[in-house]
Amino acid sequence: MNNNIETMEAPIITARGLKKHYKRGIETIKALDGVSLDIRSGEMVSILGPSGSGKTTLINLLSCLDAPDAGELVIAGRSVNGLVEEELVNVRQGVLGFIFQKFHLLPTLTVAENVELPLMFLRRQVDREKTLEVLRQVDLENRAGHLPKELSGGQMQRVAIARALITDSKVLIADEPTGNLDKANGEAVFALFRRLVTEKNLTVIVTTHNLALGGLADRIITLEDGLIIDEHLRQ
Amino acid sequence: MRFIAFAFKNLFRRPLRTGLTIMGIALAVAVAVSLIGFNIGYRRSIDVSIDKLGFQVMIMAKGCPYEAATMMLKGGTGLVYLPASTYDQVRSDPDIAAITPIFVGVAEKEGSGINDESASSFAIISGIEVESFVSMKPWMTMSQGAGHLGGRWFADDATGEVVLGYEVAEYEQRKVGDSYYVSITPYGQTEPVMSEFKVVGILERTGTQDDGTVFMPISLARSLFNRPTELTIVGFKLKNFSGFALRQFEQRWAKLPEVQVVGLQQVKTTLVSLVETAQTMIASVAVVAIIVAIIGVINSIMMSVFERTGEIGIMKAIGASKSDIFQIIWLETMAICLGGGVGGIILALSGTSLVEKAIQSLIDFGTRGSMVAITPQVMLVALLGSAVVGCFAGLYPAWRASSMRPVEAIREGE
Repeated sequence: MNNNIETMEAPIITARGLKKHYKRGIETIKALDGVSLDIRSGEMVSILGPSGSGKTTLINLLSCLDAPDAGELVIAGRSVNGLVEEELVNVRQGVLGFIFQKFHLLPTLTVAENVELPLMFLRRQVDREKTLEVLRQVDLENRAGHLPKELSGGQMQRVAIARALITDSKVLIADEPTGNLDKANGEAVFALFRRLVTEKNLTVIVTTHNLALGGLADRIITLEDGLIIDEHLRQ
Repeated sequence: MRFIAFAFKNLFRRPLRTGLTIMGIALAVAVAVSLIGFNIGYRRSIDVSIDKLGFQVMIMAKGCPYEAATMMLKGGTGLVYLPASTYDQVRSDPDIAAITPIFVGVAEKEGSGINDESASSFAIISGIEVESFVSMKPWMTMSQGAGHLGGRWFADDATGEVVLGYEVAEYEQRKVGDSYYVSITPYGQTEPVMSEFKVVGILERTGTQDDGTVFMPISLARSLFNRPTELTIVGFKLKNFSGFALRQFEQRWAKLPEVQVVGLQQVKTTLVSLVETAQTMIASVAVVAIIVAIIGVINSIMMSVFERTGEIGIMKAIGASKSDIFQIIWLETMAICLGGGVGGIILALSGTSLVEKAIQSLIDFGTRGSMVAITPQVMLVALLGSAVVGCFAGLYPAWRASSMRPVEAIREGE
């Protein structure tokens, strides 16, 4: 556990009163109904809660993939309220890295090419040495030339993590990253997150249904009906 | 990796669909290229054929001048004749630079088929006055190939000598010094009379109807066909050829009974216009094919976009901007259309002879030789056209994909 949370620098993500409501027919679904939180650099935060509690909605807002209906959100010192999509892309680029439940690797690209894909969008030069270094961090350097279909689920998720790392993102945001993995692979992914936090001072925000895995984070936030009902540090 | 390489990899994910879409574009482009090539080739062919008649104006018996001109170019039966006195009357015209009388008749070749001895065919006999005829066609020279050495023109009063066009000699496998037989039915008689001639010369290939013609002295031809006082046409070159000079010449000689004056420029224009209806029909087919192909491309790319909705959302999440997504989808469309363009050109080049035969079987063009000319310019236009089609066909799918909101796209894709 990172024991320096209270003494760490200013939050890399600050959310105040985030609200997101959806209309379904005449009914209004309050997916998030006023969530406030601070996440600091080098912190691993897990967001727990049952289905429909607002975990994914919160993580989409923190990722700048969606905009809140109300509230304020500051990422890496920049307020993202009112930004248009192209501006949100700029905020995401190089700051936020994403990991999804279903990995979403492109089937025709090799492991190395999948990892390098974000560089194409950032107009950055591909450095195969760096790609291999990132793959080494996720223990897949010997799979660089393989296609995704030749990998196990756990390996595919580690490729997705490498893809998030290649741009030197400061924050990794993972939505149910172990949802499609067995227990052993799920634990391996969380162990990898822990190692990245410890060794590279990355910030990791992860949603999960799994209380045991969620409990491995520095801070555990529990959501229910769009509200934070519990927030505590790891014992 | 670059966007273009990424776009290609996406296309190769579904090779069958990509291949079929490219094939659709290729077929449309092939039709369009063949049509344009035919348009150019046919005009060129008409130009060459008429220019190589050697004269600018002709006088012939009244009737359809274009039918007569076509017969002059291509050969055929049903020729009408004018009195030989016309030649004597007209030759004194002060505007004439050169004049030549021509008598054309059709003879029967019995047992001339190479593979079937019982088959028969026609031979186009052209009775000419050597000096005036050859002065109008200076390009007509004697072949010096194997078996053709020593070729010469016949004397105007020769009675048993012929000169063969290149294709006649090839088809009949005749050499200089060989005998040549034809059956001619004299005018007023019902039974053909077989005659034997000595081949005294074989002409070089000209690419015109002359290659398929048997030449003999005009007096001999008239005598064999029993039309001693008739001609088929009289060809002229005017001293100062112009539309005005031609009209004046026409006015002077329109007074002759049963005779008409026809300018060959006019024949060219009319022959071209005769096939324009057919060309319009083919153009309509090409336009429909292109529209269908464009719809096919849009449909194919749209399907691909819908199938990759989640993937597009992920790309946006990992840093792709709207313009990046637009560029990828647009490049995929362009690649398909340009691939189709190149495929279409190859298809058109390799299928030219088939297209030519198909068109020739439908329409009588009145010319010989290749009538589809697929020039580098035509190919360039086809490629540019494909690129333009790609530009427009890719707009909507690319816009649709780039407008997707990442969260919704990821959710839809899951």
